[in-house]
Amino acid sequence: MKWNKTWKKASLLAITAVMGTTLAGCGTTGSSVSQAANGKAENSGKLVVYSAGPEGLAKKIEEGFEAKTGIQVEMFQGTTGKILSRMEAEKANPVVDVVVLASLPSMQSMAKDGLTLPYADAPNSDKLVKDWSDPNGNYFSYSASALGIVYNTSQVKTPPTSWADLAKAEWKDKVNIPDPSLSGSALDFITGYLSAKGDSGWSLFEQYQQNGVAMAGANQEALDPVITGAKDVVAAGVDYMAYKAKADGEPVDIVYPAEGTVISPRPAAIIKTTQHEQQAKQFIDYLLSDDAQKLVTGAYLLPGRTDIQAENRTNLADIPAYPVKWDWMNEHGEEVATRFTGLYQ
Amino acid sequence: MIHYRKWSTAAAFLLLAVLIVFPLLLIFYTAIERDGHIDLAAPLEIIAGSHLASVLFHSLWLGVLVILVTTILALPLAWIMARSPLGRQRWLDVVLLIPFMTPPYIGSMGWMLFMQKNGYMEQLLPSAAVWTPAFFSLGGMVMIMSLHLFPFLYLILRNTLLQISGSMEEAGAVHGGSPGYRFRRIILPLLLSSYAMGVLLIFVKTIAEFGTPATFGRRIGYSVMTSEIHKYISSWPIDFGKATALASLLLSACLVMWYIQSILSSRYSYRLTGGKGSRKKGYTLTGWKGLLSGLYIALLLLVSIGIPYFSVITASLLKLRGAGIEAGNWTFKHYTELLQPGSDSLEALLNSFTLSLAASTIAVIIGTFLALKVSRGQRASQKWIDLFSLMPNTVPGIVIVVGLILFWNSPWMPVPLYNSYGMVVLTYVILFLPYTVQYVKANYGQIDSVLLQAGAMAGGRPLYVFRRILLPLLIPGIIAGWMMTFTISNRELVASLLILPPSMQTSATYIFAQFEQGAVSMGMAMAVVSVGITTILLLILNVLPSARGGQQV
Repeated sequence: MKWNKTWKKASLLAITAVMGTTLAGCGTTGSSVSQAANGKAENSGKLVVYSAGPEGLAKKIEEGFEAKTGIQVEMFQGTTGKILSRMEAEKANPVVDVVVLASLPSMQSMAKDGLTLPYADAPNSDKLVKDWSDPNGNYFSYSASALGIVYNTSQVKTPPTSWADLAKAEWKDKVNIPDPSLSGSALDFITGYLSAKGDSGWSLFEQYQQNGVAMAGANQEALDPVITGAKDVVAAGVDYMAYKAKADGEPVDIVYPAEGTVISPRPAAIIKTTQHEQQAKQFIDYLLSDDAQKLVTGAYLLPGRTDIQAENRTNLADIPAYPVKWDWMNEHGEEVATRFTGLYQ
Repeated sequence: MIHYRKWSTAAAFLLLAVLIVFPLLLIFYTAIERDGHIDLAAPLEIIAGSHLASVLFHSLWLGVLVILVTTILALPLAWIMARSPLGRQRWLDVVLLIPFMTPPYIGSMGWMLFMQKNGYMEQLLPSAAVWTPAFFSLGGMVMIMSLHLFPFLYLILRNTLLQISGSMEEAGAVHGGSPGYRFRRIILPLLLSSYAMGVLLIFVKTIAEFGTPATFGRRIGYSVMTSEIHKYISSWPIDFGKATALASLLLSACLVMWYIQSILSSRYSYRLTGGKGSRKKGYTLTGWKGLLSGLYIALLLLVSIGIPYFSVITASLLKLRGAGIEAGNWTFKHYTELLQPGSDSLEALLNSFTLSLAASTIAVIIGTFLALKVSRGQRASQKWIDLFSLMPNTVPGIVIVVGLILFWNSPWMPVPLYNSYGMVVLTYVILFLPYTVQYVKANYGQIDSVLLQAGAMAGGRPLYVFRRILLPLLIPGIIAGWMMTFTISNRELVASLLILPPSMQTSATYIFAQFEQGAVSMGMAMAVVSVGITTILLLILNVLPSARGGQQV
């Protein structure tokens, strides 16, 4: 019995010793890794970018920027909602330097809250579409997408032509709409539509809900069932994804209702807490450069600069747009998102 | 010597406090703290003042329904495997574990692709279009979750049935009990306690599950506590108040279940295995009953493995998803793209492996230490260590992750672990610590202390005895714990989604992101590759004789 106890103590001692050193070891490696990450970020100019898709474009921009400047980029890719929430979660210890969103009102409210760092004299900023960027250089919309009705061409022979069509019985249970709490562009569409129509605009979304329109995740999640034929139509679908899928050979196409739609700019901004102001400014420079604008059109997005045209998609001048009120959208975004998701829950 | 024991006990407590207890307490604290003062009713107010009460009800109702369906699936199976010649088919035991080892988010996605309008089912069998829409309902969700969880209940029931030795029934017969009486008074009571424990764990696992609600549940608009918690901390507008209120409620529900289970297991567990050999018996299933049993198992395997894996593999091979299953629409392109050197996908795959490698190694070291501290668990301190070290198995993963974020990302935290590689490893270690603790504990329990005494008597000093006798005997348990941790952390989703540093992906988050990005084929190709590799590892684990005993945990 006594021996039993003795060896047990000894074994525990041994394990403890082993574990202690290992833990200590792992502790140092663990913290040295993170310190190294921080250290690098401070000294050798590693730039942390949170970017809303599309994934391929974000990757190409990252690669292009790294090749051009030699600055390493750490990129988190997510939807606008995920990026905003990640920033909120990290409020105590912000690490992000540059944010790229898919929603202008969200960016406007960040600028209004003083979270952005102005860069008024950014090269090429004078060529940007005026309404989409801040005159003081708080944010720059380097690209945009337009919202439309995306449909499955093998199932839909006569596509709907207006937003109201989708509330008709023939479209019952066949329509998806992206979740505005996840998709910045969907939020832009809903708030933009409401800002143009006034409070009566809600009746469209109520009719949608009654007609079995399903709220289905972010943009691609809403589009995917339409590609496979599980659903027929995406209301407020982003156009570049539809163009991309169509180019891949999938049976989808897009229409912009003649009555108007919302164009959703994709702004980028430097975050005030950045430790790498110079590198962050270089990133903005790159986004507005000819090279990056070419990447933008390559991804079927609308270029942010007025002097560049896309050849693979409808250009800005040919898309009928509602006269939206960006200020109203910015003020009411959260409230609208909550009411809308509540309606569809 | 007493000195060392105290020292190591203190170390164990400190470790568990920092790793597990503080982060969880922080959730409760955050949930009840409002502007600097404590309001115990705050979580309830938050929940009552929103649609969250229905979310709570959704979770509980789902748990009840899954209990019902898993019982219907697992009970006949356990009976067949315990009482018919089929039970001798060792490979069946391995195969029956596959549904449980399939990550739920992948299984659900497979089911959705199969059952949706114009899905694989309708492409193969156009007449099925009439009733496939019915699948996208709560019933479908219960079915998917039950098909994932039934092996767990099955193993518990079968093991108990096997342990009820023939001699007990014989004893009943000798004393004049009729077969019906024997079943009612001997088998049923012995089975009931295991069953009760099994379903309680099924319940906890169901309400703690994230993958299925996040994929299938989102499609049908059935939100549960885990999916709402995830929503509140990861999508805009973010709301930590609601998240922690829900998390504390979910935590409480699971702890209550856990408490009930521990009472049950201490009060109603019977020593079924003695030292003496026992004969199985009762009766066996042969003839038409045997045939029926075979059919039942075949059908179960078809539904629980065949369908989801058919979808996963098909989706990974389709050239154009819009064209569906047809000649000429097949390609290996997604695999070559996936495994291309330097690609994000290959990097994600490698990340998963290195992260799990680090996590499983550290978890095994800490877990072995804790398991030895618990040993046979008579003292109060040992019981507490046991309780805390097994906690991550009972508490929903997402709740632990919320706690860890609150803890490691708080402004006063001096160690900058959050947003780093180390944070991910740490989270995996904490989440899967119970595996090693359980395996090693089971292993340790089987070692007769006579062996160690003999070693000491023969003049071995304690350290020598530990190194040459105890450690070699513990190795199987340690390896089993290591491999289990490795496999599970390789597929871990919810923690990875919430705590991976920017620009870092694992195979699980890659798959999830592909579903979100619409590149379902790429996601499924990744699922085939990563699940394939880890399944092979698990098969190896199953070949190790020592691991079998602990499998039901």
